[in-house]
Amino acid sequence: MEKVIIIKYGELSTKSDNINFFIKTLKNNIEKKLSGISFKISYDIGRMIIYTDNIDMVLNKLKEVFGIHEIMVGYIFKDKSIEKIEENILALIKNIDFNTFRVTTKRSDKHYEINSIDFSKIVGAYILKNTDNKKVKIEGADLEIFVEIRINEILVYFDGIKGLGGYPVSTLGKGLLMLSGGIDSPVAGFLAIKRGIRLEAIYFDSPPHTSKMALEKVKDLAKVLAKYNNNEVKIHIINFTHIQEEIIKNIPNYYLITIMRRFMYQISAVIASRINAHVIINGESVGQVASQTLQSMEVINESIKKPVLRPVCCLDKLEIIDIAKKIGTYDISILPYEDCCTIFVPKHPVIHPNLKTALEYEKLIDKNELIYNAIKNETIININSNNKEYQDLL
Amino acid sequence: MIYLDYSATTPVSLEVQDTINKVTREFIGNANSINGLGIKSKNLLNSATKQIAEEFNILESEITYTSSATESNNLALIGVSIANFKRGKHIIVSKLEHPSIYSICSYLETMGFEISYVNTDEDGLIDFEHLKKLIREDTILVSICAVNSELGIRQPLKMIRQTIKKINPNIYFHSDMTQAIGKIAISLHDVDLATISSHKIYGPKGIAMLYCNSTVKIKPIIYGSGKSNDLNPGTPALPLIAGFSKAIRLALTDLEKKEKYINLLNERLCLHFKSYPDILINKTKYSIPHILNISIMNIKPETFIHALDSDEVYISTNTACSSGELSSGAMVIYNDVKRASHTIRISLSSMTTSEEIDKFIKIFDKNYKSLNSLVKKD
Repeated sequence: MEKVIIIKYGELSTKSDNINFFIKTLKNNIEKKLSGISFKISYDIGRMIIYTDNIDMVLNKLKEVFGIHEIMVGYIFKDKSIEKIEENILALIKNIDFNTFRVTTKRSDKHYEINSIDFSKIVGAYILKNTDNKKVKIEGADLEIFVEIRINEILVYFDGIKGLGGYPVSTLGKGLLMLSGGIDSPVAGFLAIKRGIRLEAIYFDSPPHTSKMALEKVKDLAKVLAKYNNNEVKIHIINFTHIQEEIIKNIPNYYLITIMRRFMYQISAVIASRINAHVIINGESVGQVASQTLQSMEVINESIKKPVLRPVCCLDKLEIIDIAKKIGTYDISILPYEDCCTIFVPKHPVIHPNLKTALEYEKLIDKNELIYNAIKNETIININSNNKEYQDLL
Repeated sequence: MIYLDYSATTPVSLEVQDTINKVTREFIGNANSINGLGIKSKNLLNSATKQIAEEFNILESEITYTSSATESNNLALIGVSIANFKRGKHIIVSKLEHPSIYSICSYLETMGFEISYVNTDEDGLIDFEHLKKLIREDTILVSICAVNSELGIRQPLKMIRQTIKKINPNIYFHSDMTQAIGKIAISLHDVDLATISSHKIYGPKGIAMLYCNSTVKIKPIIYGSGKSNDLNPGTPALPLIAGFSKAIRLALTDLEKKEKYINLLNERLCLHFKSYPDILINKTKYSIPHILNISIMNIKPETFIHALDSDEVYISTNTACSSGELSSGAMVIYNDVKRASHTIRISLSSMTTSEEIDKFIKIFDKNYKSLNSLVKKD
C-alpha cells in the first residue's frame, strides 16, 4: 500500500474557461514550494495526487500554498478484489477514533463489476461486522471513508485538513505592496497573495532618521511573505530621506503626512507600472490614523491613477493582529524600530485634508525632480524564503 | 597519540575552528549594537540560532546560550525552582546524574527545597514504580540525564515524561543531554528542558545551551540586561555560538552510521577485555557504545591511567569531573565498592580508527602485564 497526498482545489474550479491555466499554475507553485524534496505529481480536473516518501514534510509545506482547498492523506493499492479492499480499509481505520461512519465510492473504472452504491454497501457491511459498536450514518458521520475504484488501482482516503484556500499565486497577475515595518501591511500583502496576486514590495527608507534595523525588519517580514509568494519577494528600496527633509523644511506641519503619502503613492505608481504590476496594495485601514480617514484617502489617492487595494481597510485592529499572529509576522512587526511614517509625525496632523490646499502646498517643492531622483536611486533586493544566510560559516 | 577520552571533551573540528576564526575576525560588532556592524553580527547570531532550532525542531526563542553544561544545569534547576517555589519545593533527580546536578541540589536544599533520588534497576534504568511513588502534588521538577556519563546508560525519556505527566502534569522534566547529543538520535520534544554542550560534539569549549520549552516558567539566575525575562544577559559570544551551531549540524549528520561504526569498535574492545579474569566490563543492555567502562580489579586505576599517559594514550577514571572518587554509576548498579573504585572509562568517537584500537590494545596489554606483575598475590 502506497501513502500519497491528495489535494482538492480551492475556488479555481469555478473558473471554467481558464481552469487548466489555474491548475497548471498551482502545479508549478507546488513544485517550487517542494524544491529539494523528491516527489511526483499527477493531476486531473478534480484534484492532484503527490507521490513522495517525505509525507510529513510535504504536508507542512502544502499548508503554505494558496489555491488548495483541502489536503488529504490517501492510500493506493493495486489489488482490486473486494476481499482485499475490505481488508485494507479495515486495517486503515483500526486506529481512528469514531462512532459513526459512511462509505462513499466513486467508480472511474466503469468496467468494475460492482457499481458504486452496491460497493459502498458491501464495504459498510464488512466494517459493521468486523468492528464493535460502530454505526452507519449518512449525514454528518464522524468518519467518511472515500473509496475510488480507478483503472489500475484503488485509492482510499478520509477527511483531510483545510488548505489555505484562495487562488494559486500569480494567476491574477502582479501587485506592488507598500511594505512598512508595521503590523498591517504584511497582513495586507498576505491577503493579496491569497487572491492570486504575485507580490513585489516597495519600502521607503529614510536613513539616518530610520535605522538599519528597520530595513532588516522589513526584510524579515518579506521573508515570511515569501513563503506564500512562491518563495520569493523582491523589495524595491527607495531612499526617501531627501524628499522627507524637503517636505519638512517647506510644508506646514499639519500637512506633512498628507503630502508625504502623496509622494509615496506617486513613486509606487511609477515602480508598479515599470514592473507590470496592475495594482498597488497597502495596509491602510479606515480611520486608524490621520492619513487613513476617508477624506485623507481621497486626497492622497488623487495623486495616482493606478488602483489601490486595501485588503485590511475594513478590519478591526484586533482582527488584523489575529491574522498577523497566524502567519508569523506579528512578532517581527512589534520590534521597536521606527519606519519613515512614524518619525516626524506632527502633533496635530490634518484629519480632513483638502485637495486644493494639498496641491497648493505641493507647489512649494520641486516635486518631479525629487521623485525622479528617488526612483533613479532605487535599490532592489531579492528575498528568498529558502535562502539560509551565512551558509558558508554555519 | 591515541585519544580515547571523547566523553570528557572532543577536539574542535577543523571546519568549526575555521568558522570561529572567521567570525572572530570579520564580525567585530556587538550583536546588541544598532550600528551596521552590530546588525551584521545580529544577523549571523539569528542565523546560527535558527539553524540550531531547525536541527532540533524547536523554536528559536526556546534556546538560551550559556557558558557550559554546568551553567545550563544551574539555570534549569535553580531557574525553575525560583520561578515555581510557590507551587512546590520538591525536586526529583536520578542517581546517575553528572556531579554538577548533585552540587546544585545541595545548594537548593540550603534554600529549603527537598530533593528525592529515584532508584535504578539492575540495568541502570529508572525504576518507574519508585518514580511514581516519589511524585507528589508539590513536585515541581524532575531531572534525569539522557545518557549517564560514566557507564553510558541511556534512559527512555519519552516514557519517563509520560509517567511524570500522567500523575502530575505540572511537573517540568529536565534532562542533561550532554553525553547524548551527537551520539544517539534523541528528540527534545520528550522533555521540557534540556542541557546541550558544545565541546562534547567537536565544538568549542565555553559555550552550551539550555533548551527551555516555551510553556516552562523559569527565572534568570544572572541579571544584567534590564529585561526581566532575559535568561542570558550580556554580549552574545558570537564566534563560539556560530561554531556551536556548525558543530551541532555536523554532529547530527549520519548519526546512525557513526553509531554502528562505534559499536563495532566497542565490541572489539569488550571481546579483548573479556580475556582478562581481573577485568570486569561495566556495561548493561542500555549502555551506548560510545562509552566503555571497565573495572581493573587488581590495579589502581590512577596508576594505570598514568602508565598509559607515558605511552601517549589518554583515557579517564570515572568522569573528568569527579576523578579520584568512587564511581557513583558503577556503585548504583553493582553495589560493589571495589568494582566502583577501580573503574576506567574509554570513550570512542567516529574519528577513532581501527589502527588506533589495535595500537591501544597492544599498549594496554603491555602496561597491564607490567603493573600486574607487581601485584602481590595473597
